[in-house]
Amino acid sequence: MEALSTFLALLAGGVLTGLVFALVAVGLTLIYGVMDVVNFAHGEFLMLAMYATLGLALLGVGPLLGLPLVALALLLFGIVVYRVFVRRLLAGPPEATVFGTFGLLVLLQGAAQALFTSDYQSVPNPPLQGTMHLGPIALSEATLVEGAGALVLTAVLFAFVEYTETGRAMRAVAEDRIAATLMGIDVQRVNALAFGIGAACVGAAGALLMLSYPVFPTVGAGFALTAFVVVALGGFGSIHGALLGALLVGLLEVFGGFYLSPELKLVPVYVAYLAVVLLRPQGLLGRR
Amino acid sequence: MTERTTHAEPLLQVRGLAKRFGSLLALDSVDLDVAEGSLTGLIGPNGAGKSTAFGCIAGAMRPTGGTVRFRGREIAGMAYHRVAALGVGRTYQIVQTFADMTVLEAVTTGALLRHPHVRDAVAHAEDVLAFVGLADKRYRLGRGLTIADKKRLEVARALATDPTLLLLDEVMAGLTPAECRDAVELLRRVLARGITVLMVEHVMEVLMPIAQHLVVIAAGKTIFSGTAQDAVRDPRVVEAYLGAPLEHQEIAVRRAGDGAS
Amino acid sequence: MSGAGVRTNGLALAAIVAVGVVASFAVHDAVTLDLAFTLLLYAVLGQSWNWISGYAGNISFGHAIFFGCGAYAAALCVTNGVSPWIAIPAGALAAAALAVIAGFPTLGLRGHYFSIATIAVAALVETFVRTAPWLGKANGFELPIRSGWAAMQFPSKGPYVLLALALFAAVQLATIALERSRLGYYLRALRANHAAAASVGIGERRTKLIAFAWSAVIASVAGVLYAQYTLFIDPPSTIALAVSIDIALIGVVGGIGTLWGPAVGALVYVVLAKGVALRIGGAGKGYDLVIYGAIICVIAALRPHGIVGSIVDVLRRRRGAAAPDATIACAP
Repeated sequence: MEALSTFLALLAGGVLTGLVFALVAVGLTLIYGVMDVVNFAHGEFLMLAMYATLGLALLGVGPLLGLPLVALALLLFGIVVYRVFVRRLLAGPPEATVFGTFGLLVLLQGAAQALFTSDYQSVPNPPLQGTMHLGPIALSEATLVEGAGALVLTAVLFAFVEYTETGRAMRAVAEDRIAATLMGIDVQRVNALAFGIGAACVGAAGALLMLSYPVFPTVGAGFALTAFVVVALGGFGSIHGALLGALLVGLLEVFGGFYLSPELKLVPVYVAYLAVVLLRPQGLLGRR
Repeated sequence: MTERTTHAEPLLQVRGLAKRFGSLLALDSVDLDVAEGSLTGLIGPNGAGKSTAFGCIAGAMRPTGGTVRFRGREIAGMAYHRVAALGVGRTYQIVQTFADMTVLEAVTTGALLRHPHVRDAVAHAEDVLAFVGLADKRYRLGRGLTIADKKRLEVARALATDPTLLLLDEVMAGLTPAECRDAVELLRRVLARGITVLMVEHVMEVLMPIAQHLVVIAAGKTIFSGTAQDAVRDPRVVEAYLGAPLEHQEIAVRRAGDGAS
Repeated sequence: MSGAGVRTNGLALAAIVAVGVVASFAVHDAVTLDLAFTLLLYAVLGQSWNWISGYAGNISFGHAIFFGCGAYAAALCVTNGVSPWIAIPAGALAAAALAVIAGFPTLGLRGHYFSIATIAVAALVETFVRTAPWLGKANGFELPIRSGWAAMQFPSKGPYVLLALALFAAVQLATIALERSRLGYYLRALRANHAAAASVGIGERRTKLIAFAWSAVIASVAGVLYAQYTLFIDPPSTIALAVSIDIALIGVVGGIGTLWGPAVGALVYVVLAKGVALRIGGAGKGYDLVIYGAIICVIAALRPHGIVGSIVDVLRRRRGAAAPDATIACAP
């Protein structure tokens, strides 16, 4: 029974990890789907959100309370970044968005280093330090809340894209930009909003992560890297794909970390990505 | 299906070509023979499946049934660059130019297939440009050409690969009558060089003066294969284009004439 | 590239080499020589990246693994008593093999999928090196100190700069040759129009594999030189993702797909990274990254073809479409 409870614990851990990745990845794939931009600075948005959460915590506002504020801040930040910068990138050759967002990555990392130093910093007196027992499995409360929070937010985003008018407009632009323009949709406004929402998603993820992780200037890189693989695995532009990819990657990472070793935990992830793309060059659920 | 007696196997032999897109059967069963050294036209009314047939023959798509044999070798579904290396050149319905390359560079790219040394390829490209009549525009960028010249360039590029068979996809579309005449003139010279040509065209008149052999497709099937003169008189062809048997057409025309007078 | 273009670029290269040779003998300031060496090495790395990401059009974010092939080959040679000059062909072979193995399945992937695949492959290679005892694991190698040309180690920095200069000149000449070669034409055609390229017999995967293998070879030779210069190599300094990103950004700033882009990009990077760091003190402060990042952002937004690429665009427009061989470099 020991092995079973270990397996279940890993399963639960993998799903919960996957859910957080899902929140990050869904933002990334939304941005890509609507405007064909791979936001390589996505990890840095996560990092900024984490620092913002830390700042609020130092002012007495805990991560869970601060989450909506941080998400809102990232939403606005994303919209501004789109209007001031990404919009111009879209006017150039396709490589421009790749290099532009990379430049943003470097700039934000440098700024964080200059402003906050390279030290690892954590939320003081973090809430939810206990462990919960679900049947035979012991899970940390923080991990559970992170996963649950991510699930709720991802569901909210999903509902937004499926059922609201703005969400429909986004899907229209994602499918056919010119046709959407012909139907009177303001593509620039939709783009800006999509970018902002993508940032807000990863911002919310950042606030959640501060429940159990420290922040430092390059913290975003690791998460973002996995998020890119998730999105590519699921198929660029597909929200369902991002969810599926995230769960797969979460499980692979957790099982890999346990059965192989913590330093090798990403190996199954990368191998899985290469294997999938070999057979389906557009990812699991991507469009050709 | 061919009405001229061939002593050798046709250069291109298509049998039972079928293509299905989901539930849509675009090609039911198309048979086609192209004799070496001839100019064969593939025509048919709108929606007949000529573009699909051409696509399957040229390697742009994989047919769901049937065979396409070039010099006795099955090429259906083969990657296009390999088909090209076997000696089949092609042009595109929507012209695919190398926008930022000069005319000479574009044709040189084609020539490199059989002339791996750049110097030889350039020399060969110059010959081809002189042959098609683009020599004086050799340093123009691809994007700066007129549509007629772009099409001419595509033919030149294909010719530079020293093809045995040249596949032309609606090469006359979008050309003025004068440009069409020039194109026909060029095709005559291509034939004179011994290159076999298969042309897909929408407009029949264009092919009449030059096609030695016509294949008519309607509703995904071959309905006629013979000379151009016979095609015009063939009741099945007329019906495919006009939608009713010949006698009905004659009655309709006479009725219209009575009404007017 | 025309004959005239070859002459112009050849003269420019000769001038640079002449200046470099004189400098390597005349200048004795270690800091300046170090900057020169770093500049030349990065220019070479940037050019190797340019071959696959610029000329072939498949943007790679994992190029450091080929650099690592050469560096580790040198380390293995020297620690086993073999001359590091052997590491040049050995590393090149390893790099080419790695490129073919990694490239064969991935070079058919479009755009972003390929880029992410390069990250995945690079991460796997790094993990492999970090866990392989014969490759020094996470500690890497410290190369024993020797002296002389046979050991490719020198007490002063001057000869290193000479070697780097020779490598730079060779790579620039090779790139000029690439632009005028069949491979160069084919790569350009693939970038310009896939369908048209296929119609004249150009096989995408086969063509790009050759470019990829050559670009890997160039990077690995640079790696050998680097190992002999710093005498210490480990995963973070040679094959980490950060190194790959640096290489890519150098190519971008300068202008991908151009002959002199990588050199210009390397110049900007070195002046900025090392220069700023020296002034403000401590590269760990992040200010140099802020400036560098801002430069990249500005270039991406306003001049996405990079510095040299923009110059080429302007020159092209001036000379118009009617003039013969209007380009210095085959920029996109």
